Amino acid sequence: MNSSSANIWPLVIVAGVLTSFILVGLYSKARESGEYGFSGRYIGRIGGGAAIASNWMSAASFLGMAGLLYLKGYFALAYVIGWTGGYVLLLVMMAGQIRRFGKYTAPDFVGDRYASPTARLVSAVISITISIIYCIAQFKGIGMVFAWLFGITYKGGVMLGALAVVSYVVVCGMLGVARNQQMQYFVIIVTFIAPLMVLAFKLGYFWLLPQFGYGAAMQDLVREFNLNFADPFASGSLFQWLALCFTLMVGTAGLPHVLSRFYVVPNVRDARWSVVWGLFFIALIYWSAPAYAVFGRLIEARGGIHFDAEAANKMADIVVIRTAVMGGLPTWLVGILAAGGVSAAFSTVAGLLMTGATSFSHDIYYRLVNPGASEAKKMAIAKGSFLSLAALVLILAVEPPGLIAEITAVAFALAGNTIFPVFLLGIWWGRTNRQGAIAGMLAGIVITFATPLFGRFVPIVATLFPVTSSALCGAPLVTAIMVFVSLFTSPPPSEVSRFLAQEVHGHLD
Amino acid sequence: MQERHDSYDVNLFRPKKGYMGGEVGIIFIILFGWGVVTFGFQFAVWLLGPHGSSILTEVTFFNLPFHFWFTGQFLPLWFILLCIVFNLYIDRLTERHSRRRDRTYE
Repeated sequence: MNSSSANIWPLVIVAGVLTSFILVGLYSKARESGEYGFSGRYIGRIGGGAAIASNWMSAASFLGMAGLLYLKGYFALAYVIGWTGGYVLLLVMMAGQIRRFGKYTAPDFVGDRYASPTARLVSAVISITISIIYCIAQFKGIGMVFAWLFGITYKGGVMLGALAVVSYVVVCGMLGVARNQQMQYFVIIVTFIAPLMVLAFKLGYFWLLPQFGYGAAMQDLVREFNLNFADPFASGSLFQWLALCFTLMVGTAGLPHVLSRFYVVPNVRDARWSVVWGLFFIALIYWSAPAYAVFGRLIEARGGIHFDAEAANKMADIVVIRTAVMGGLPTWLVGILAAGGVSAAFSTVAGLLMTGATSFSHDIYYRLVNPGASEAKKMAIAKGSFLSLAALVLILAVEPPGLIAEITAVAFALAGNTIFPVFLLGIWWGRTNRQGAIAGMLAGIVITFATPLFGRFVPIVATLFPVTSSALCGAPLVTAIMVFVSLFTSPPPSEVSRFLAQEVHGHLD
Repeated sequence: MQERHDSYDVNLFRPKKGYMGGEVGIIFIILFGWGVVTFGFQFAVWLLGPHGSSILTEVTFFNLPFHFWFTGQFLPLWFILLCIVFNLYIDRLTERHSRRRDRTYE
């Protein structure tokens, strides 16, 4: 893709969309914003669903998923299923119970349920690590889009993008901008689907619902170029598919920033129904993403561009924009598409880095280092942590370790191997104690990084615990470790067991 | 009632009678539908065509190979339906038990 010169109109549109978020946020500033991410007036079930979807949408959904589909066809549908199916787990096993437990963040839940500052510390470190890994993927997306917008190298793009996202968060913080997640979702869905409809129209496929229209394009790929995009297990075995899908599912149900969403809506019933709407809004994007991938492959094939795996790997993460450019979409429409990707990544980075910084300031500094710290001191620590985390993410994103969706999947694996079992047993088995939780979380960390650490020496580790898909074997193993350790150590405090039986599972007895 | 609370230790596989029993029942039903349809279908694709081609991949639906449509388009819809069924059931269960306790909803 031509990246030798700046794309002025897309650049103006991206800046305009970001500015509009700030202006709308200022307009609705009147409402109280107590703690980052958990504030907001009541917005109904559909609005709550849009907020869930907006909170969820990141560069991984907007850019990364289509990239992986472009590269791996059917295999990448594991991402679609993992990232939607996880919400079923979350809704039926966790949502209502966490809500009744009444703790806002993963470290708060773990600290209180297991009555242990150590367990709180471990879960805080895990939550911050998840935020960092997740943000590396976002920075990669931002870097690639900025490189294209300004016509510079990826390295330049990621540095400029990091500066832009940090400035954006700082400006929003200084002005006290409230996040309007409904507007954000609306922008994301329109910027993703409108260019896709035009693309389908230009290519001569059913454009009103390009989610169905791309089927004919897939058939054309087979007929004209013998390219079977739907070949099952061509890019990975059944085990690899299932492992990836399951990992993303349990990761979804264990991601701290997803779990926290259930506190935005005032009652449990609305919170549950918001999940249904949220899932529908998320599915709208995921039903559409394969179309970009298929159209991308078709345009390339028709243009006589040979599919080179190495080159494809390098640009897969920007295939959404590349397809729009190659498909001859007007520059302003490509700009709109880029603006959607940037706003999805910006809002995710803002949310995750602020949550990570708050967690460092509250769960680690205030709870463990300096319990007498004033609010001003805590705020200063949070601000410093935010900048430090952003710098760390930037350093790690300069040489990204994989594709956007793959990097994100590692964060899901970590959540699935640690937070998910700790919440699951914490809610559903009263006998789980702090020793079990701590042993489980530590084992989960080792399992998540087992392949890079030991995979070369013990090949079976790399087979059973692939770096992006370690939770199929990992989550059950961690659960077993938690049960085993809990049974051989003293039971949790009786108040905790009583609270669990009476308030979490006995509210209607 | 209080004594029963004190002696009960929460366990997913031994739920209390009443609301929790009903809740755990629907959870297992939904999880069954979630797991069997999601993972069972992939097994079926693999069993019927270990090298890729089978009736599931050759039949087309909405212009897509059936297995691609089922996984990429139907399964997310299936998850939404499962969530709706769960919510409707829990709403009814909650209302029934709230009335029994003679208190307003939640």
